Amino acid sequence: MLATPVSTPTKGWGRIWNRRSQYYLIAFLFVLPALINFTVFRYLPILAALRASLYQYSLLGGFGDFVGLDQYQAILSDSFFRNSLWVTLKFTFYKVPLQVLFSLILALFLARENLGTAFVRSAVFTPVVTSVIVVSVLWSMMYHAQLGLINSLLSVVGIPPQTFLSNPDRALPALTAMMIWKDVGFSMIILMAGLKGIPGVYREAAVVDGAKPWEVLWHITLPLLRRVMMFVMVTQTIFSFQVFVPVYAMTRGGPLERTKAVVYYIYQYGFLFQDMGTASAMSIVTLIILLVVSVGQMRLFRSDVSY
Amino acid sequence: MSILDNVAGNLATPASGSGAAGRELRRTTWRDRLQMAGLIIIYVVMFLAFTIPFFWMFFGSIREEAEIFANLYPFTWKTILPIKWSLKNYLDIFGISDDGQKYGLQFQRFLGNSFLVSVAVVLSSLFFNTLAAYFFARLRFPLKNVLLVFVIATMLVPFQATIVPLYIVVDALGMANSYNGLIFPWYASPFVIFALMQFMRDIPTDLDEAAVMDGANLFHILWRIIVPLSMPGIITMALLEFQFIWNLFYWPLILVSSPKLQMIQVAIATQTTQTQTFWGRTFAGSVTASLPVIILFLFLQRYYVQGIALTGLKG
Repeated sequence: MLATPVSTPTKGWGRIWNRRSQYYLIAFLFVLPALINFTVFRYLPILAALRASLYQYSLLGGFGDFVGLDQYQAILSDSFFRNSLWVTLKFTFYKVPLQVLFSLILALFLARENLGTAFVRSAVFTPVVTSVIVVSVLWSMMYHAQLGLINSLLSVVGIPPQTFLSNPDRALPALTAMMIWKDVGFSMIILMAGLKGIPGVYREAAVVDGAKPWEVLWHITLPLLRRVMMFVMVTQTIFSFQVFVPVYAMTRGGPLERTKAVVYYIYQYGFLFQDMGTASAMSIVTLIILLVVSVGQMRLFRSDVSY
Repeated sequence: MSILDNVAGNLATPASGSGAAGRELRRTTWRDRLQMAGLIIIYVVMFLAFTIPFFWMFFGSIREEAEIFANLYPFTWKTILPIKWSLKNYLDIFGISDDGQKYGLQFQRFLGNSFLVSVAVVLSSLFFNTLAAYFFARLRFPLKNVLLVFVIATMLVPFQATIVPLYIVVDALGMANSYNGLIFPWYASPFVIFALMQFMRDIPTDLDEAAVMDGANLFHILWRIIVPLSMPGIITMALLEFQFIWNLFYWPLILVSSPKLQMIQVAIATQTTQTQTFWGRTFAGSVTASLPVIILFLFLQRYYVQGIALTGLKG
């Protein structure tokens, strides 16, 4: 191993020990700032939330009475909280499979390198680098019933003006469609990297054996891409479950609570209702759900057969 | 042969595979041309589907507001492209015009805040993440793997879902409503450490062994050998960090209460919609908020794609 004190000439054990501990000390200084950051800003918040969830706690009033698990009991029987979990789940279930499907189609079409695909790839990726808030504000204007671009485009094919964000049945699908549009380039890039990682010999061998192109796609490319697709599914599920900005900017949870995702509900409790205790309890519940989901999906991921 | 076959065929015979050579022997038929035309149409549709909203936003920002609505129906080129150009929306949001002053709009301030915070985060996080990545990739330390798990496990902490708890801590540290609160939580990132680690691991170790012989200390080795050799990775991570911080919304929304400290992304949502929505100004604000990252992306696209593929696939 490199740069270790063991390889330096020494006189006696005391000197080895000193040089070694000196080395370790210096080495530790390299990682210390990062460790402090993670302790204070990633782990401590969870402990703080655990504590806050056991008290009546508001930002203005500080800590109040110790209430134990009352707040957990309250949120678990709160139909609005359950509704927000249901909304979040629906959003995730709509978004993730469709996004993976679309990004796979895009990746297959755009994998070949030429000037045309380079242009289209840049276009597909532009919403990814744009902020969610800009995309949300822009799309809420596009979805506008009277003044929106989408109704103008629909009029070309003779469809009368529609309502989107104010319509209880369409608001969540409208948000989902927008977020797929925004994120599809991200998963496309990952899938394209996956496609490039598949050794060409597999496909060439199949072609030599007389396989039709779609058979190659179905029997060789897609199975070999499974791991990468699983990975995209896992990460996108975690992302989607935390949807906040579109809800904040486009619907504020409405109409009829149909788009009130859980992170927005937490925000509402903590910062609009000034009830940090309940908001913390909800954060902990959401955190646990997400940990279970990600650990579960990782297990699936690991047991996956590799090539 | 359908278009799907063609697409699958692209994959079946990558670049200059053996299949392509066989195909060249065949003369181009009308079928090939039809197929080519079909593909081009698909590419154009894809391109437009992702760019029309941006064109609408950009051209909407440089035309008079009434014009946006007047040309909405029927849908023609006038719906997207301006007939009369105007910079009034920009004069408004930068508080230069009378209207802008009346509403007290000062987008230069929000842009400045975003730049300040983004640059501070990028510089500090590059420094500390590089140190940490060097530690994990190349230094010896007892129970180093335990520390690595400590770092990697933070990736499992969902970011948006734990913002309220983060606020409780940052508030307790007295950093609410301050630049410090905007910067400090992000000076280290498990994703960046992990990605840089991958880069540094691939650098041959005999280089730094030679440096040790010459009496260089660890910091010298990092600075003179490791950092220059992992430059592509560092640039990539700087880009991703910049984009992450520049686009941050939820955190500044709840952390910052005084308008003077507000970042551009929050300003778009709050400033332009305070009393009534002014579409032209909202477009102009969105353009100024998006342009820096879009330009960076278009120029340094290669690094972006690498970075996402790297953190995405290995991370």
